[in-house]
Amino acid sequence: MGNPVANLRRRADEFKTLGPKDKRRRVVDGILNNALYILMLIFIIYTATQNENFLTIDSFATLLIQVAAYLPMALGIGGCIVLTGTDLSAGRIQGLTAAVAAVFLQKTGYANRMFESMPDATIGWIFVTIMVALLIGAIVGLVNGFFVAKFSLHPFIVTLSTQLITYGIILWFFALNGNNGQPISGLSDAYKSFVGGTMFKLGKTNIPWYVLYAVILTVIMWFVWNKTTFGKNMFAVGSNAEAAKVSGVNVFLTTMLVHTLAGALYGYSGFIEGVRSGSVAAGTGLNAECDAIAACVIGGVSFVGGTGKISGIILGVVILRIIFIALTMLGVSSSSLYIIKGAIILCACALDMRKYMVKK
Amino acid sequence: MKKIIALLLALVMVLAFAACAPADNDETAAPDGSQGAEGTQGNSDLKVSVFWYDESDVYLSSVRSELNEQLDALGIAYDDQYAGKDQARQLDQVRSAITGGSNLLVVNVVTSGSTDVAEQILEAAGDIPVVFFNRSIGNDGQDVTVLNEHANSCFIGTDAPEAGHLQGQMIGEYLVDHYDEVDMNGDGVITYAMFKGEEGNAEAIYRTQYAVEDADKVLTEAGKKPLQYFDPNNTDKYQVDQGGAWSAAAAKEYMDTNFVTYNEASGNMIELVICNNDGMAEGAIASLQGQGYNTGDAHVVPVFGVDATENAIALIADGAMTGTVKQDAEGMAKAIAGTIGALAEGKTPVDALAAQDDPRFSIATDCASKLYVAYAPYTGE
Repeated sequence: MGNPVANLRRRADEFKTLGPKDKRRRVVDGILNNALYILMLIFIIYTATQNENFLTIDSFATLLIQVAAYLPMALGIGGCIVLTGTDLSAGRIQGLTAAVAAVFLQKTGYANRMFESMPDATIGWIFVTIMVALLIGAIVGLVNGFFVAKFSLHPFIVTLSTQLITYGIILWFFALNGNNGQPISGLSDAYKSFVGGTMFKLGKTNIPWYVLYAVILTVIMWFVWNKTTFGKNMFAVGSNAEAAKVSGVNVFLTTMLVHTLAGALYGYSGFIEGVRSGSVAAGTGLNAECDAIAACVIGGVSFVGGTGKISGIILGVVILRIIFIALTMLGVSSSSLYIIKGAIILCACALDMRKYMVKK
Repeated sequence: MKKIIALLLALVMVLAFAACAPADNDETAAPDGSQGAEGTQGNSDLKVSVFWYDESDVYLSSVRSELNEQLDALGIAYDDQYAGKDQARQLDQVRSAITGGSNLLVVNVVTSGSTDVAEQILEAAGDIPVVFFNRSIGNDGQDVTVLNEHANSCFIGTDAPEAGHLQGQMIGEYLVDHYDEVDMNGDGVITYAMFKGEEGNAEAIYRTQYAVEDADKVLTEAGKKPLQYFDPNNTDKYQVDQGGAWSAAAAKEYMDTNFVTYNEASGNMIELVICNNDGMAEGAIASLQGQGYNTGDAHVVPVFGVDATENAIALIADGAMTGTVKQDAEGMAKAIAGTIGALAEGKTPVDALAAQDDPRFSIATDCASKLYVAYAPYTGE
């Protein structure tokens, strides 16, 4: 599903044994099933002809940096989608943890420091902050998971509720200590260099440390999904919860853990978000889950449940970021940007469902 | 176990409702206690409902805390309601408030620039006075028609184009003084990037337009070439936050991507950054700093915003940002509170606005029921 080359090769072998009518259907099928990749390729070639800077090392570096920023949330939400669910609270969790992390790591002596009593941003304190961010994310995720698993509520409803509750907490948090809803800024240099400091240079572009963290997270998530009992249970519950239960999978625990893990990943994305954009406002993270869900769906994590690959999620994030970078470079108007993005998500979903229906 | 959970859930629900109820009482009770009898007695039958388009807006948060303080001081009973950027929800809130006995509405409309929304609110309000504020209720003089037709309504806000004009003026003057310094490639033309906060927002549209037009005016008068948008392919001549959130992250991502094609090595570096608000300016500065500009002794690409948030003021003090336009939250709150007080005394909206005496306030030239609170340029001097 995720690997177009293998798909094509398998089809080629089968193709030879078919009659002319079937052959034609197979060709059409093949084109349709890989339409997204074919379209992307045409799109990339077109962009490259219009702007010679699109296929350069610096352009690739920019893509890498943006993918690293968007990937963690998509990896978290992917698990929820595998369970036939979704997660609407992701963006707000990111906003909350971004705010908390920023407050923990504001510069000492900064004029608008929210809490004067916070210690200096030493490396130890940064780790404490990461842990706090992960913990806050995990707690909200745990609440999501508990209500989904315990009361068989659809995650759409549960995460919609926690989205609202989390937003309320964000607004309350921003009003603390006379902050009055002002954005939180003045992040300490140690925090900035820990997340956004230069790891190495690719072309003329500085690659920040969070690219490495994203790679580490991806490896961990690949391992969790593919090599652990928990990962196998997740797919089992996603394909058929009843069957999984009968064969001895603890559905309750699996659902809880998937959501908790997702929450922790949003917590991490919140930790890097403040440094990425220079400040955290109450609106930070708004609708971030939409991009993450779209990336998963484009990458073949099906809402039908039980299917999806880490490589697919990466591909989905990469495609969305390529679209953004390419259209920005082409100087396309914002209205077309929305239309193109919407059309791609719709096509990806339709093609995905089509494959599923064919299998049936 | 299940029963305990059910019980706990029920308890949480009860607490959630209980938490909402006394909050209302507190707000109205506090001034009673602190103000003494005379202050509250006069306005005891006045019930003000204030409708905000969204709770997360930075500037309006400052207005809100100022306004609440001043209304408390006047001993006026009020409640704040938030529409969460949803116009339909706000209309429902307005109708519920009227049913609930509110007799003065202070409305920050969600859909700025639409007279239909104002008409609907006024229709629901009937004879109840309505004070619109901050977000414009109609573009190009359409708001004047609405305000003139309804004697019970008035508008307190900023002259939407003024921020753009002031920003443009400030940019022009700065560039005339620092032209060669800003013109990095020395070609005699300054290329700029423009970050727009939101599509379809009247303030954003005016700021995007006038910041450049007015800067060009100042530049041509001084015998310099007008500004040039950095990307010749982009006919919009701006990049907009796709989420409509005026966010730092959007500006940062655009700026990062722009750097691939437009940089110092290629001789086509963006030499000036204009943003619709300070949040986007912060994002643009984060990106510039990532490329080694606007920090320490490095070259400073001038970045201009609007709002004068505390963070922007700090950035200007550090030299990383060049200028912003101050929206006067305290002045806005004073104008609204003063008008409410005058309306409570039985004045008509037009008289109530005329009674507000402050050098920062001015009655609009085209309409007597429109009060403007002045913007002020801020460059840290």
